[in-house]
Amino acid sequence: MELAWYGLLGLFFAAYLVLGGYDYGVGVLLSGLRGDAERRAALTAVGPFFLGNEVWLVASVGILFGAFPILEGELLSGLYPAVVAAVAGVVLVTVAVQLRGRPARLAARAAWDRAVIAGSALAALGWGAVLGGLLQGVPLRADGHVDGVGHLVTPFVAACALTLLTLVVVHGATFLALRMPAPAGGRAPVDGAIPSAARWARLARRLVPVALGAVVVTSLLGFLSARVTAAAGALAFVPLAVLVGSLLAVRALAPRRPGWAFVASSVALVTPVLVVGLGLYPNVLVSTVDPAATLTVAEAAAAPATLELLNWLAVPAIPVLIGFQAMSWWVFRGRVDGKAPIYW
Amino acid sequence: MDPLPLARLQFATTTSIHFLFVLVTLGLVTLLVYLQTASFVTRKPVYERMVRFWGSIYLINYVLGIAAGIVLEFQFGLNWSGLSRYIGNVFGAPLALETLLAFFLESTLLGMWIFGWHRLRRGVHLALLYGVAITAYVSAFFIMAANAWLQHPVGYEIRDGVAYLTDFGALFTNPTFTMALGHVVSAAVLTGGMVMAGISAWLLLRRTPDYELLRKSLWIGLVTVTVAGVPLMGFGFAQFGAVGAVQPTKLGDEAAKAAAVADFTARFGPDEYLPPVWANASLGFMILIGFTLAWAFVMLPLFHRDWIVRLKFPLVIVGLSIPLPFLASIMGWLTREGGRQPWAAYGLLKVDDAVSGVSGGVMLASFLGFTALLLALTVANWLLIAKRAARGAGDPALGRSLDTDPAADDARPEPALAR
Repeated sequence: MELAWYGLLGLFFAAYLVLGGYDYGVGVLLSGLRGDAERRAALTAVGPFFLGNEVWLVASVGILFGAFPILEGELLSGLYPAVVAAVAGVVLVTVAVQLRGRPARLAARAAWDRAVIAGSALAALGWGAVLGGLLQGVPLRADGHVDGVGHLVTPFVAACALTLLTLVVVHGATFLALRMPAPAGGRAPVDGAIPSAARWARLARRLVPVALGAVVVTSLLGFLSARVTAAAGALAFVPLAVLVGSLLAVRALAPRRPGWAFVASSVALVTPVLVVGLGLYPNVLVSTVDPAATLTVAEAAAAPATLELLNWLAVPAIPVLIGFQAMSWWVFRGRVDGKAPIYW
Repeated sequence: MDPLPLARLQFATTTSIHFLFVLVTLGLVTLLVYLQTASFVTRKPVYERMVRFWGSIYLINYVLGIAAGIVLEFQFGLNWSGLSRYIGNVFGAPLALETLLAFFLESTLLGMWIFGWHRLRRGVHLALLYGVAITAYVSAFFIMAANAWLQHPVGYEIRDGVAYLTDFGALFTNPTFTMALGHVVSAAVLTGGMVMAGISAWLLLRRTPDYELLRKSLWIGLVTVTVAGVPLMGFGFAQFGAVGAVQPTKLGDEAAKAAAVADFTARFGPDEYLPPVWANASLGFMILIGFTLAWAFVMLPLFHRDWIVRLKFPLVIVGLSIPLPFLASIMGWLTREGGRQPWAAYGLLKVDDAVSGVSGGVMLASFLGFTALLLALTVANWLLIAKRAARGAGDPALGRSLDTDPAADDARPEPALAR
């Protein structure tokens, strides 16, 4: 039963990386757009989905607290600075995207846009550092306390943070290639200032080598790190190979098949969760100082009575949650055009 | 540096900020349900314009509720890992259910509501708002159940120092839950009414062209304040007996307090088991504000021949009263949370045992960083609400018809993609 909840936790966090990932990718890509109209157009593409994306993070932490309480406390406090960075980034993006359209003055909007850009980058870097910190283990003592925060300061964690940033930026570009107007398709011509889908597809293609380079460097640093090789097993290679394959697929598919390119970049964002989940299994939080303190999935889980309660109350709701998300994707499917509602 | 006071201060600051915004969220969404239902049934344009105007204020306010809520959710693990270690089996369940059964849907549905205007059928669009409102109440239900469990742990047993769930139903018949839920929900509805009445009053003082809309809003707001005040006080005073019985050090008489302190000292060793003085002082101030707000009903007869608008000074009074419910709410929380010190879970787990083993320096950096961030965002958010309100109900971006020329009804620049 713990394993099913562990899978569910992975599912929710992976869904967050995929859905929140393109929010942050688009957020970072705003830095390349100068005018208010262009930025607004990019955010309109995210538009109706924005509020439904970060909820996957909140639900992940809810599952973490409900089904894996011990892990929740030790993971979050053990990786304190990385989690704080990620949460600060998430808060900034959440607030800035929703408020940037409220002021009438363009200067005020530009200031909120800077918060969107900074928050997006910080969130991606923060979650990358959290995943990297998990892969190299933490100095967890038997009493459940983690010694200090210096253990996070390694080249591997920095590389993980940067890799996730490159992945979300690629993902943001494939999302915009899928959602932005494509004038050739017989639609109304786009305002000249607004980058069309084709331009985003070209950008996605050009960014793939950067992301691949980051993945290779991170993998090499992982091999060289005694902590990572001790904590993570060979199963991590499977999702790593999928990650490389999906990035290559983005490069091949972006110009002609925006839908499939987006699927490929989504797969790329699922793989980090699988690298951590499969690589560490059966452990979830590896101690670098005391092997006996290492937490396994079973040890981290809540008591059977609690899990059973959650089975009865939460599991039946999950199809409903996914159903309403699917409704939102269906209602607002397709490319944005002159009829797209604008609010952000 | 001792991390405990910093962790407590950080939690108090974040909860207070969160509470100020979610009160308005819960109160305004209730009023929006009324307004959009009226718009659906009567098809009168004034109701649709009211939904759009109050909806835009609701949405600006909603943002900070989520932002502070996310920080709170992570703070449990970051700063209070002892909570998850010792009582996570029980306390984690209602929080997990809140995220999955309530918040997840609330935000998903709200996204569709914002962007679904003119795209979805009217009935579907209205149903989305009902969904948002229902899930907001479900949120309050689970969060209050979780908080009530910390006030008075029930339905558990201790094995090897760790709490295990034995009776989940007991969490919802907890005496510190039922009355407090009614109290908090009434407070939220009253606050929503006060915000609506107060903003309308300020706008009416300016002689805006939107007389009908604002007069109606003022009426709805003041009726809400009057009506919600009754259960608010009822549930409030009803708590004295219930809470005093299970938390003698908070609201018990002198004998009960002494007995509880002796009992805690015997079981947990000597400590300061009586709550700080300010916890009780703020209770007194809260009740004072409550009695002041109860006078809202005297405004209602003044609607006869619009004397409330013609006399002007009643509008000033209503406008100046906006901060009152917010102050009262914070004071209520100070009593509820300060009054149970030194316990994280009353009679079960002290705050010193619940705090994470993080160093004081790290905790200080996190406290200063998050507090500065949230306070700055709070000020920015309130300024945006004030500016949005000051622009009047002219034509908010929310729910703008796709046929209207945006430049004609709003000073804002043209939407990026509209032809």
